[in-house]
Amino acid sequence: MMFSEKAKKHADACRFCWMCRHLCPVQLATGKESNTPRAKGLQVSMIERGYAMDENLCENMYECMLCGACTNDCVTGFEPPIYIREARTQAVVNDLVPGHVQKVIDRIMDTGCLYADAACKVDLSGIPETGDTLLWLGETARCAVPETANALISLLKKANVSFAVLKNEPASGCALGDLMGYVEDVRQMAQQAAQAILASGAKQVIVLDSYDAAMMRHEYQDWGIELPQIITATAFVSSLIEEKKLSPKSAALTLSYHDGSRLARDLDEHQPARDILAAMGCEIKEMFQHKRLAKCCGSAVAAQYMPQIAQKVAKGRWEDAARTDAKILTAACPQSTLMLKDTAPQGYEYQDLFVLLNEHT
Amino acid sequence: MEKKAFMCDMIRTELEDVVGVENVSTSQSERMTYGVDYFWIGRMWADRGQMPPMPDWIVRPGCTEEVSKILKIANYYKIPVNIWGGGSGSQGGALPMAGGIMMDMKRMNKLIEIDEESRTITAEAGMIFQQLEWYANERGYSCQHIPSCLTCGTIGGALGHRGIGIMSTKYGKIDDQCLSMEVVLPNGDVINTLPVPKHAAGPDLNQIFIGSEGTLGVITKATFKLFEQPENRQFRAFLFPDMHSGLMAGRDLMQKVKPSILRFYDETETVSIIKKILGFAKKGCLMNLAVEGIQRIVDIEMEIILEIVKKWGGEDLGSEYGEKWYENRITFFYPGHIMDIPQMFGTMDTVATFDNIEEIYWAMKHAIEDNFPGVRFIAHCSHWYEWGTMIYDRFIMDHPPEDPQEAIRLHNQIWNAGVRAAMAHGGVINDHHGVGLKLSRLMKEQYGPAMQVFEGLKKSLDPNGIMNPYKLGL
Repeated sequence: MMFSEKAKKHADACRFCWMCRHLCPVQLATGKESNTPRAKGLQVSMIERGYAMDENLCENMYECMLCGACTNDCVTGFEPPIYIREARTQAVVNDLVPGHVQKVIDRIMDTGCLYADAACKVDLSGIPETGDTLLWLGETARCAVPETANALISLLKKANVSFAVLKNEPASGCALGDLMGYVEDVRQMAQQAAQAILASGAKQVIVLDSYDAAMMRHEYQDWGIELPQIITATAFVSSLIEEKKLSPKSAALTLSYHDGSRLARDLDEHQPARDILAAMGCEIKEMFQHKRLAKCCGSAVAAQYMPQIAQKVAKGRWEDAARTDAKILTAACPQSTLMLKDTAPQGYEYQDLFVLLNEHT
Repeated sequence: MEKKAFMCDMIRTELEDVVGVENVSTSQSERMTYGVDYFWIGRMWADRGQMPPMPDWIVRPGCTEEVSKILKIANYYKIPVNIWGGGSGSQGGALPMAGGIMMDMKRMNKLIEIDEESRTITAEAGMIFQQLEWYANERGYSCQHIPSCLTCGTIGGALGHRGIGIMSTKYGKIDDQCLSMEVVLPNGDVINTLPVPKHAAGPDLNQIFIGSEGTLGVITKATFKLFEQPENRQFRAFLFPDMHSGLMAGRDLMQKVKPSILRFYDETETVSIIKKILGFAKKGCLMNLAVEGIQRIVDIEMEIILEIVKKWGGEDLGSEYGEKWYENRITFFYPGHIMDIPQMFGTMDTVATFDNIEEIYWAMKHAIEDNFPGVRFIAHCSHWYEWGTMIYDRFIMDHPPEDPQEAIRLHNQIWNAGVRAAMAHGGVINDHHGVGLKLSRLMKEQYGPAMQVFEGLKKSLDPNGIMNPYKLGL
């Protein structure tokens, strides 16, 4: 097997370290030892010592949200997602990807979209495709939770922001990167997305999906792909409120806010969403695990190839929310909305942050 | 049983019938992950490319009833049953050395109740202890069981091997903190210990199962004390000229005040690990402690501590090193900071009365350093009682034998020498890591004829000997 020296170093460090397992949302949801970062590190280290990689081991490697909770906790800076992503690359190279995962990879490779129904369900009528400000919706908002995208578009219009949206927005590569590792196919996908952004003439890109934003900020940069300024939708909308271009009415709700893992950890962004809620007069009942410590609620990619585990992970996050006094949970990433909107326990309600703001503006 | 033809599949379907298909696995890559815990031999074995010991079936029960049914199946077929919590034990206590069923308890991770009136918290035993602590913290309390394995060990694991946390000197060991438990006996019967731990209704059932390391049954639920978070916590570090003065100061402190943290390092550890993490560069023996609770009481306790330390010639280093140690208390256990393969290492924690403790320290140091060239010995005392303290003695060998069998032989020779030196001078086989596979062979030496009490219990409760074979000398 051809794991990189970096992956080997990280796997060898993690294989005998137990310190972060309490944070792994998949381990907590499944109770499986193989779903701990140290077990995955041990498996990779054993491959390097002659153990034959098999489909069961690859299945283990796909039972991970790549949420980075383990990395965030590591005092000495080791990163399980490095060797887990590389193990996924090895699974692809060695034709050992489990069938249910391969189906999703094939779909993205064939259609460029994570979803079987790739049609954009967001109302883009009257919105140009070129301009200084490009709104990047991402495939989850376009195909699965259009209400989030529609609300954000409505808010931008209310704030008199002149913006463009690509009717045929390509994938950023983040979903394929999670499934295959950061291989050449993913880099090419990223390159195409960047070309589409540059062709729009944008000087800034407002990115709604935090998975896309993290990919553009980090991996694109590592690959030397140039982009205009990337701004998260939460940060942009928060600035509109601060500049008085949006003046929300009081919602006066008591709610809890879920920090999406890529927004909170990969992008280190916690405050703008809270500022938006404060502007609506909402009282936030923080979950114990919030901001960088937030527990993942699942992801759009995981929901495609392991829906049952993704749902359990989402329910685990609802259990955290239910221990606060709030009956409403909100989040600011379309992938969080996808996971949380249909998994609320009885007596609790999910409200997408942008939908909530749009209703009160 | 003989695992012939399709018998394994027959048993697998029985287990699946209990816990669901998705909660049974016979995948080799999954089974392999249960063959390495924190025990040095298991780690070395895997590091050298040897296949770890593996169970035959992994089973993940979701409730007590499922645990009961699994044990009934195991008893019928006389299959070994190993119990796995976080797998963070250092004694090989969870390793499936005889194969069989690996009962992974982590699905049983539900909070059952927080009783603020009685100040207790109850949860299923597969919960990682950090999660229990967070539940307590959410309500403004703490369990005050803060071991270095807080984030990786389960409730059942802590109870199973009689764990301890850094706050034990004030708040007690796990066996002091647990009020009651639900236990599934090897025959599948579910029993509850009495609702409170202090009574005159015969021997304490809790203390039969706490520390039994899965050899007498499966702990499935437990209730613990809750403590109010302290209003104030003050740290102080001191430097003593030698072991004797520090130990005597510790003894006197324990008679007058109740520190939550009291750690005293020998000179070798002071100038090695402590220097590396805290940047401390002076020669001598470092003590760092904390007192906590109501501010007014804490202030008085600190006054008394300063008087005692002065009497024994300790130099006051202020609060900085103690605070820094507390901030880094878990850093010590991350890769790059703790001993790791390829080094050979072990922690021979022992506990004894004050009159024996210093003699034990020197006896163990000599037993190891004089007999095993290239092996270093470092030690600290980190858990104190009114009558004595424990020594957290560690040996470290930078270049152990390459051959795994040779390495195991040397490892066990060092352990035999160190632990026997402790026992010969009034120490006990272990303070808080347990016995497991690592020290199983020495249990009869420790207990002598008293071992028949444990053997009788084992024979009575587990007549087929299926529960965690080769552990605890049973």
